[in-house]
Amino acid sequence: MISEERRARLGALADQLIPAGSGMPSASQAGVAGRYLDEVLAARPDLEPALDAALASVEGLPAADALTALRADAGGWGVLTAVVPAAYFMNPAIRAAIGYPGLEARPIDPSAPPDYEDLLGSVVERGAVYRPTPD
Amino acid sequence: MEPDVLIVGAGPSGAIAAKRLAEDGFKVLVLEQGDWPDYSKATVTREDFPLTAGRDWAWDPNVRGSAGDFPVNDADSDITPLMWNGVGGGTVVYAAQWQRNMPSDFRVRTLDGVADDWPLTYEDLEPYYVRVERDFGISGLAGDTAFPPGEGPPLPPVPLGPAGRRVAKAHNDLGWHWWPAPLAIATRRYGRLNACVQRGTCLQACADGAKGTADITHWPRAIELGVELRTGAQVRELVMRPDGLVGGAIYVDADGAEHEVRAGVTILCANGVGTPRLLLMSGGTPDGIANSSGLVGKRLMMHPFGTVVGVFDEDFRAWQGPWGQYIHSLEFYETDASRGFVRGAKWGLQPTGGPFSMTAAYPWGAENEIWGEGFQDAVRGRLGHSTMWGIIAEDLPEESNRVVLDPAARDAAGAPGAKIEYRLSENSRRLVEFHQARARESLIAAGAYETVVAPFIRATGWHLLGTTLMGTDPSASVVDPTGRSHDIPNLYVFDGSVWPTSAGMNPTATIAALALRFTEQLIEARRSQEVAA
Repeated sequence: MISEERRARLGALADQLIPAGSGMPSASQAGVAGRYLDEVLAARPDLEPALDAALASVEGLPAADALTALRADAGGWGVLTAVVPAAYFMNPAIRAAIGYPGLEARPIDPSAPPDYEDLLGSVVERGAVYRPTPD
Repeated sequence: MEPDVLIVGAGPSGAIAAKRLAEDGFKVLVLEQGDWPDYSKATVTREDFPLTAGRDWAWDPNVRGSAGDFPVNDADSDITPLMWNGVGGGTVVYAAQWQRNMPSDFRVRTLDGVADDWPLTYEDLEPYYVRVERDFGISGLAGDTAFPPGEGPPLPPVPLGPAGRRVAKAHNDLGWHWWPAPLAIATRRYGRLNACVQRGTCLQACADGAKGTADITHWPRAIELGVELRTGAQVRELVMRPDGLVGGAIYVDADGAEHEVRAGVTILCANGVGTPRLLLMSGGTPDGIANSSGLVGKRLMMHPFGTVVGVFDEDFRAWQGPWGQYIHSLEFYETDASRGFVRGAKWGLQPTGGPFSMTAAYPWGAENEIWGEGFQDAVRGRLGHSTMWGIIAEDLPEESNRVVLDPAARDAAGAPGAKIEYRLSENSRRLVEFHQARARESLIAAGAYETVVAPFIRATGWHLLGTTLMGTDPSASVVDPTGRSHDIPNLYVFDGSVWPTSAGMNPTATIAALALRFTEQLIEARRSQEVAA
């Protein structure tokens, strides 16, 4: 389990990556270090040791300095920039605010007229664009 | 009763060969190191899917680490080879971009003075293209001006959608080629395939059963016809007999037990890394078997890959769609020596994904990272408003680019891993650079207010080709034009390993057409075929 102290640290780092803006909350306000971190780690428990290690590696540093230090650590930066946006977009209010409904079924209407026919004329007019098999 | 034919590998080429042989009454045994795809893990409607997909549907066997995977050491390679070791093979996680090669791809030496011609032509393969397009439920439109006239695929193309239409119009203004995309995506219910609902997760397995993958299009029928498919069977070596024929294979099952199977004829369909690895592991010498030419494992080609993204004012709702591709362009496919390189690349226009993808270093690039002030506006700007050209670049065969054994790493059966030695050539670098520049022009002409040329990344080796060269000269090739080993008359290779050159296309269409042709050649020559009795 990520300790409360490290969660607080994650929240501070996450707010450097995703501050509040455009009428939307910051990462920590959106639950990135709380409920949605739990959801991310429930889906990917294998990320927890790497995240914990990354947070431990910058303990005691101010958030901005910690971020700079993590940038130099590909593994640490990778796990931070995977977990933070994943947790942020896990929040349904955030998804609604950016207009993202998730992956929906959008069946192809078999009765709809083809949407390419009005555009193909000039391609066909140009003629063949391949080199034929030489004799 | 011993099988007539043993096939190693249950990907597309193995599936095609097994089904076709069974149709003619052959007794076929297939050994597959992996398992059936577990579609219950394609949890596409869950919010955590972007996270779990990276684990459950990973393309890199070293990341995935499934029971059927063998270790691949890519420390000395500019490109990381990717593969899906399981029933259906690479088709399970491919983008379903179903591209025939063009006529010039079979005549590279004659037309461009480099590499080698294939020992067959586009016209030789064309009837097989038509048939495998029916078998895999391909969608698309006949009449593409980049190919000789002929029969097209059985299903109508996917919609261009707003992004495809916008770029198609721009290409018309530029006088550049484009065409509705050919795809192994069923646009209507077809055989065992459902109709596509454009969820955009083709690359992480289709949860909707609409992608033409060999586990759906071929395996159920092959099994009905009597093919025996053993999964979790890691082949450790092929067994050579004193008379110079291959007698079968030794494999280790999921419980670690060793088995020997015997067959009259053995066919390798284990991909451009797995096939040479198995040949090199066999015979008890460092050179392996079927290697009098010294070419087994050499001439590996993996297709350098480029991506260019355009961001638009228009909302395409482009987090999904056929992924897949909306349209393709072959405008710059053919060689033009004035460009400073030979050969070319195919472009496929694709969606860009959901919000999580908008924050990723690929394709957006570290210099365009969106962390900090303005994050939300940047996500809104990209999400749904972007589309990208994926560029499949041809790499030429070089003997120094190769697959060798890696005795330092072992798979679960105790067999050595594969080591990849691969360097991008100057020709490849110039080719990718040129195509990225043109693709950027395409998107700007379509009205993109921002374009991003994605950074080069290594993890794009989806296409594994060339490592058991097909040719007519036994001293300079591994297999003959029927896929048969020059050295061992009852050993065949039917996968992409046999390609003399890589073309600049997604290869599954040609792998499939070749596998069908090879299989029918084998059936036709059955009376004169030497077998291990």
